Amino acid sequence: MELTINGQQYTVADEPARPLLYVLRDELGLTGTKFGCGAGICGACTVHVNGVATRSCQTMLAAVAGAQITTIEGLADGERLHPVQQAFLELQTPQCGWCMSGQMMTAAALLAENPNPTREEMIAAMRYNYCRCGAYARIARAVMRAAELMKEGAA
Amino acid sequence: MKRDDRPQRWRMTRRGFLIGLGLVGGGLALGAALGLPAARLALADLLGDGTGPPASFPKEPAIWFAIQPDGRVVMAMPKVEMGQGVHTALAQLAAEELGVAWEQISVTQSSSIGPVRDPAGTSASYSVMGLFPVIRETAATLREMLRAAGAEQLGIAQAAIEQGFVIDPANPARRIGFGELAAQPRVWQAPAEAAPLTPPDRWRIIGQPAPRLDLPAKVRGAAIYGYDARAEGMLYGAVARPPHLGAKLRRAAPGTALSRPGVVQVVIRDGFAGVVAESRLTAYAALNDLELEWELPPPFTHQDLAERLAAQAGSGTPIQQRGDAGAALRGTQVIEATYRTPLAAHANLEPQAALVDVQPDRVRAWVSTQSPVQVAESIAATLGRPADTVEVTPTYLGGGFGRKLLITAANEAAILSAAAGKPVHVGWTRTEEFRYSYLRPPTYAAFRATLDGQGNIIALEQRHASGNVLFDFIPAPLRWLLGSDFGAWRGARLVYNIPNLLVTSQTVELPVPTGPWRGLGLLANVFAVESFIDELAHAAGSDPLEFRLRHLPDSDLGQRFRATLLAVAEMAGWRTPAPVGRARGIACSVDMNTVAAHVAEVGYEDDKLRVYRVWAAVDPGLAINPDGLAAQTEGGIMMGLSATLFEQVTISEGRIDAGNFDRYPLLTIADAPEVAVQILRSGDQPFGGGEPPMGPIAAAVANALFALTGERKRQLPLG
Ligand code: FES
Ligand code: FES
Repeated sequence: MELTINGQQYTVADEPARPLLYVLRDELGLTGTKFGCGAGICGACTVHVNGVATRSCQTMLAAVAGAQITTIEGLADGERLHPVQQAFLELQTPQCGWCMSGQMMTAAALLAENPNPTREEMIAAMRYNYCRCGAYARIARAVMRAAELMKEGAA
Repeated sequence: MKRDDRPQRWRMTRRGFLIGLGLVGGGLALGAALGLPAARLALADLLGDGTGPPASFPKEPAIWFAIQPDGRVVMAMPKVEMGQGVHTALAQLAAEELGVAWEQISVTQSSSIGPVRDPAGTSASYSVMGLFPVIRETAATLREMLRAAGAEQLGIAQAAIEQGFVIDPANPARRIGFGELAAQPRVWQAPAEAAPLTPPDRWRIIGQPAPRLDLPAKVRGAAIYGYDARAEGMLYGAVARPPHLGAKLRRAAPGTALSRPGVVQVVIRDGFAGVVAESRLTAYAALNDLELEWELPPPFTHQDLAERLAAQAGSGTPIQQRGDAGAALRGTQVIEATYRTPLAAHANLEPQAALVDVQPDRVRAWVSTQSPVQVAESIAATLGRPADTVEVTPTYLGGGFGRKLLITAANEAAILSAAAGKPVHVGWTRTEEFRYSYLRPPTYAAFRATLDGQGNIIALEQRHASGNVLFDFIPAPLRWLLGSDFGAWRGARLVYNIPNLLVTSQTVELPVPTGPWRGLGLLANVFAVESFIDELAHAAGSDPLEFRLRHLPDSDLGQRFRATLLAVAEMAGWRTPAPVGRARGIACSVDMNTVAAHVAEVGYEDDKLRVYRVWAAVDPGLAINPDGLAAQTEGGIMMGLSATLFEQVTISEGRIDAGNFDRYPLLTIADAPEVAVQILRSGDQPFGGGEPPMGPIAAAVANALFALTGERKRQLPLG
């Protein structure tokens, strides 16, 4: 079966009931998407499916055939980091980093839909992504900063 | 780094440094074997393999860096990066003393066998503190060697150094780069005199917020962790788990596992049953196909453990004693209180994971671990192979917090790889991580105290009890010598000036594996001590800040506490009232010589306890990277708050109830308070950074809650 990931075509074994996360990590070597709970709770496995933040541990292959899938490896435009990545780097946000792909993918999907979130809207979007290192204060600042960077980039 | 990139030979200099030549492409490396206090080395070695100090240690450098022909400096990292920023802080020390630009330095992770071997592991907030003198002395020595070689080349007596160049001060255009010098064939001599260290007022990089070296890869999802380790032809392993804590595998048979498509092998040995398969999901699914019989121990609950602590707390070993507390408490009005904290999980977001490749003559492993040397020894013991044939390369860690010292997954992957003849990856599920890890032990602390007419503490007694924290890592004779587990009572001793003081600690054996959690006993013990001090302040009718200040000793440490408490009080506006419906609490602690003070502001929102703001002042002596330390402080506060408000591992019928985060929720960004951090400086020597700043948080919140409601909560979690 065919998958489109980060604009590239991949052919993977035809097992529609397999979760996308395991295919990304174990079959395609795209290990930037992380495993944290396998139960849809922690958000570490978040990717975009047609631009929507989606938990890949809960998403079966059958549901993403023909969809545009983006992972953290495809968030940057080549060498140029996505504004969310720029902001997370600028504010030195990641600690261990394990949750951060999921945090950044969730933030990027939020800002694509709502480039001007209030703090409450930002929290509402980010609140289902755990960070055990406790980088929440910087995550909150970085998402708001990314919104600014996007505006500057668009201007 | 490939094995062949290492200097092939080390030559000892007169002053105990090691010069290494023969890097691929030319280059020069300097290392130091000595420098850590001898006692600590001996202890580390003892902890490393339990057989006493091995002869091998001082022959290899404990730290080194190499100058490449292009002028880049590569530093071999003995410590692992788990988000605490240690690679960056240690590289800052080297760049400072070498006299190179920050951009010139990069790091490479050492494995269990080299380039530098670190039997101590990465723990206890000791990395920067312990390596501060060693790295600087070694770097300064290398700098002086380069200066002498450059001066000779330029034909001058005195050369200056700037940004990786040796320069003629009379004519700065005449200069020669470190890379060019390092590539020249010459007999390198270490200076006979100790190389001078750069004085603090000339520091360019120490004390600066250097950007973390690991973050560019982390924001791209390109950093490789143990769970991500991959190798050609690798397979995945899964291991059968007991239904109850402490259950033993009595009988195992493959059942129908081998007929499941994708299953490669079933491995059954004494007390162990595992599956090797082409995918992780297949391996785990096949566990259900095995026939297993377990021998179950008597069931118990988490309440049973708490009762055991309470029953034994009276018979502890004294860990702090002054005057005669027992006599001073007799016949007076005694204030009493008992504090408890529960079992808790590390819940590092990356569960434990290892990739192990067992080959006929050697074993290679890539593991998320804080202790590569111990993991290598453990793999060797598991396989019955010589320790020096096992190389463990630590990856980035998706959180450590003390959880990644012992890695069972590495031994499991080793057994499975040996059987399959292929590299095998074992990555635990969240359920395994919750149910089969060691936990933060429960604690119990019973206090009695009495005040004089002025409201000063005359006598205080604390009877503390806890499950093991470090005892499982320590050889039995040493345990006996210590009497109680010093990891368990971290933070339980009091800084205050109390004429009659007795603190005892009892280490209690429990039927659950317990071990170090970020800060060891710090969070739990400071919760108890600083809550009780708050009770005494209220009993004395004093302001909790003023009560603490007037009980501080006149020592250097007392002065640092005073400065830190005053700083946090100023930040929080302690003397101005909290907003309506909210209240503030204050607490302080010292750990690894770093002093921390927090003020928390709490209230209720929809009947739920909410921490709105936290102010933190931290005195780490000297912060090598103040922004890194601020991040550790923010993170420690959030993790500590999570434990304070929500976390508790419960056990029913001998089984841990939580199998995922639904039964063990963590703090989220929606619960996170605003945090303000101020880093103080009290000297030119760094102390602990990763754990100490979180110490006061639970007590600060509990004290704020009392100020809000008038009701004292003496048990975690509070929420
Ligand atoms: S791994 Fe998918 S939500 Fe946790
Ligand atoms: S940075 Fe470690 S879990 Fe978020």
